[in-house]
Amino acid sequence: MPALKEMLEGRPVRSPLHPALVHLPIALFPLSLLLDIASWIAHDAGATLVQASFVSLLAGIATGVFAAVFGIVDYTDIRADHPAKKTATAHLVLNLIAIGLFAASAGLRYSSLGEPQTAAAPFIVSLIGVVILSYSGYLGGSLVYDDGIAVGRHRRRTRMPDSTLIIRTNGRPVAIGEESALKVGETVRVDVDGVIATVARLKGAVYAFQEFCPHRYGPLSEGTFSGCEVTCPWHGSRFDVRTGKVTAGPAKIDLRTLPAEIRDGQIWIHPPPKA
Amino acid sequence: MKPMDILQGKWLGHPLHPAIVHVPVGTWIMALVLDLVAHGRTVSQTVPDLALACVILGLAGALLAVPAGIADWAPIKKERPAWKLGLYHLVLNLLGALVWAANLGLRWKALATAEPVTTAVLVTSIVGAALIVVGGYLGSLMVFDQGTSVGRQSKKKWRAIAVRGGANVPEPKH
Repeated sequence: MPALKEMLEGRPVRSPLHPALVHLPIALFPLSLLLDIASWIAHDAGATLVQASFVSLLAGIATGVFAAVFGIVDYTDIRADHPAKKTATAHLVLNLIAIGLFAASAGLRYSSLGEPQTAAAPFIVSLIGVVILSYSGYLGGSLVYDDGIAVGRHRRRTRMPDSTLIIRTNGRPVAIGEESALKVGETVRVDVDGVIATVARLKGAVYAFQEFCPHRYGPLSEGTFSGCEVTCPWHGSRFDVRTGKVTAGPAKIDLRTLPAEIRDGQIWIHPPPKA
Repeated sequence: MKPMDILQGKWLGHPLHPAIVHVPVGTWIMALVLDLVAHGRTVSQTVPDLALACVILGLAGALLAVPAGIADWAPIKKERPAWKLGLYHLVLNLLGALVWAANLGLRWKALATAEPVTTAVLVTSIVGAALIVVGGYLGSLMVFDQGTSVGRQSKKKWRAIAVRGGANVPEPKH
């Protein structure tokens, strides 16, 4: 179901949907906690604050579960050996734990909604939930702002690499696969004798160049291609893949290129010359 | 640490503005939902009370979000698309915050009456939420389409990874 996946990734609106949807649970759970505290302070409010807190809690759970669906789709897009995959796993697990705690808190308070004050037990469970949620939300933010997850993803129309291919040349060219296995505009992320590079298939040729954009180190294996240029998914720096020359900023320096060719229907990677 | 660094969230290791905006965006959308539930119906006092709490908490969040957002926007070069996006994002969200401030005034007056969600309250909720949703969407385009604030605090970490991976990298700034 690629069409459904693309919708859940927010490709039509050029922005992922999970980070937009999480506004609601992230606001509603702390709001519920504040209303619990208010119920102890405002003695003349009757049961209204306790009930308002309960409604806020339920709405947080509902919107949180909804947002999780979109988050899981974004999770599957992260390359398996990306350092952010671990952060994303922690983000996912901690959020599920937090939702579980909020559900427990709702269960604990359900029988005493007529009381003027929230009891201690559900409040403490909610408080632990908010602490966990704050930390996992922070991790979610670092996925975006530190590791650029889903940044510029909508521009890439071809399949992205889901791991890094390890190549050890021992001084000789290595065939990494059939030319036909890689469509025009697709990439392989490779580690050639320790040099991390993107192998990109363009019309009639393959090119290999350093994976990391020299601006803020965005992943060029997740970039887009037009003519002989690669565009970085993060800030749009462009480079000529034949020479590595920077053709548009913000990057200021050129890419390191590596020798690669198509021969006898195979993609060959040569040992990287000394930098 | 300079005020700019504080507002950009350097101390936190995470841009401050996108973390704070969860509060106004989330609470104001919730307030609109509650108003739609309560308008023209007899509902428990809980509904308008919760909506009031949402609007107040949202305004408090917005007060913090605006300076932090301006600090993220200021370093963007004027010729980059993110600069204009940021300007529209700022204007729409400021208008949205003003509409919610007006909404709070109207809501306060009607709160203890038989009709706590008047048409004026509902209309300002709808307009305020619409402004915030459109303004917020522009903010998400800044990040996910233009990369605003992306890689700013992780430059060192990724530079080290790139160097290990044999990449050409610029000389570090001192």
